[in-house]
Amino acid sequence: VTNQLVQFARALRTNGIPIGVGGVVDFVAGVDLAGDLYWSGRTTLLSAPDHIPVYDRVFAEWFGEIPVIESRRRGGIESEISLHRGPTSSPYEMFGRMPGAVPDDVLPFVLDLPLRRSRRRRRSRQRGDLDLRKTLQLAGRSDGEALRLARRTRRLAPRRVVLLLDISGSMSSYARRLVVAAHAAIQEHRRWEVFCFATRLTRLTHELSHRDPSTALSRAAKELADWEGGTRIGEALKQFMDDYGHAGMARGAVVVICSDGFDVGDSDVLGEQMARLSRLAHSVIWLNPLLELESYEPRSAAMRAALPHVDLFAPWR
Amino acid sequence: VSDRLEAGPAASTGGGLTSIEDVDAALRSESYVPDRGLSTAIFLAVTLHRPLLLEGEVGVGKTEVAKTLARLRQAELVRLQCYEGIDVSQALYEWDYPRQLLESRAGTGDLYEERFLLERPLLRALRAGANAVLLIDELDRADDEFEAFLLELLSEFKVSIPELGTVAADSQPMVIITSNRTRELHDALKRRCFYHWIEYPSLEREVEIIRLRAPAVSERLARSVAAEVERLRSLDLVKPPGPAEAIDWAAALAAIGADSAEGEAARATIGAAIKNREDLGRTLA
Repeated sequence: VTNQLVQFARALRTNGIPIGVGGVVDFVAGVDLAGDLYWSGRTTLLSAPDHIPVYDRVFAEWFGEIPVIESRRRGGIESEISLHRGPTSSPYEMFGRMPGAVPDDVLPFVLDLPLRRSRRRRRSRQRGDLDLRKTLQLAGRSDGEALRLARRTRRLAPRRVVLLLDISGSMSSYARRLVVAAHAAIQEHRRWEVFCFATRLTRLTHELSHRDPSTALSRAAKELADWEGGTRIGEALKQFMDDYGHAGMARGAVVVICSDGFDVGDSDVLGEQMARLSRLAHSVIWLNPLLELESYEPRSAAMRAALPHVDLFAPWR
Repeated sequence: VSDRLEAGPAASTGGGLTSIEDVDAALRSESYVPDRGLSTAIFLAVTLHRPLLLEGEVGVGKTEVAKTLARLRQAELVRLQCYEGIDVSQALYEWDYPRQLLESRAGTGDLYEERFLLERPLLRALRAGANAVLLIDELDRADDEFEAFLLELLSEFKVSIPELGTVAADSQPMVIITSNRTRELHDALKRRCFYHWIEYPSLEREVEIIRLRAPAVSERLARSVAAEVERLRSLDLVKPPGPAEAIDWAAALAAIGADSAEGEAARATIGAAIKNREDLGRTLA
């Protein structure tokens, strides 16, 4: 039986669920203790909601029916961002085939970031609250008398930046450079988040946090393997807001959308979601590569719906 | 190290929970209605002494799990609410500087003694050991450095206070961690924990939850509210109502003497379940 359990855990791993050796040990012990195969596995082997549909599929292949689950789900995270690895026949194979060298025409994301007051403190000469710890230390030097008062103020910290990159067909000449630039940005700023979207949204922060660019890009390519053409900016943005933004990621953040604004989705949805976003975020920046063309004017329905809620509309440069 | 640093007598570790069914029955006796998945997760976390990481939609009762477990084990609930920039002096311990300053003017004795130590939640939980349930709420709000510190604490269950020495837990407190996924937690931390994603309850279970939490609500009203809340969740709202909102709404309807979540009474009290202007528009349309 143990052997079968280990093989099952291995099958989950090949389907993209990160499981350590310790997890397998806990799984075997858990089944023995609790006697419930399905739920022991979910408790010990999974660590994110998007693992659940994969788990259910592999479980059904190995042990037949999964038990009837009485709970109800909301369609969001589980169904949309699946770990499904379809045939990689999309134009986005190119991420996977990335040569080790990074293209040299990549423009880095250089943003003059607004600061916010952090909860962390730093020493200060004149202003701020008393720093009693330091004062006590100084008092020790003068026979226990607090002759000098040390002070401290709140440190300023850069705001979180969320990059939402359009990698649909019309952006294909920029997409690769965008992702490379995002990789570089993540290496430098630990609190940044990266998402790619075309018809749906994929979070790439984790994949791109790998230091080596070609490894990071091929990991990202795996996540984007089930990519399809066309852009639905509104729907993708809605997914971002529902699953991440509203939960806190967008609050007080600088949100950067890189897209040419060619949208096959509903522009009313986009307008509504942009309004939601702009109420939550510190600022919303829309980088449109087409702005570099002198003749370009943002006339598409999507751009018209989005622009009232954008704080800065600029070309990528 | 002074004697007072050592934790009190070790409590019973399992609390008599010897099977999934035991956990289920015990939680119900404390007015919490779990599904089988949550009962399994709690049973395994208690038995194998592991932290339990809970995620799920807003209002499904993540924090409530810890409160219920504390009551159940007759343990103290020690809650650490995380926020950005939280650090050791707010989470673990701090020295009582004003008193130390006074002491230093008097010029007697050692300034770094137990009596000047202010206990914060993590130190408190360590000292209480199995007599505590430690709730680390919304860990995704804290930053990486704090998470790394926490990981160390959760694997060793001891910390060192440079001026005093090491504090180790006699027995491990039960640890519940909640996260809203605004930031991906570290793999190392996730590996340390058991995991459960709390779903919305089924209709039957939600009726049961409402009846348990709001005893003034009739069976008929609870059923009507649960059905209506289920419909609202399918509407693709910004903030779909959770069980917590269902309970509030049912209680509000009962308070104005309604016996179902329909018509004028429902419209007048919908604010208990829907708290977003766009959602309100979509609901009433």
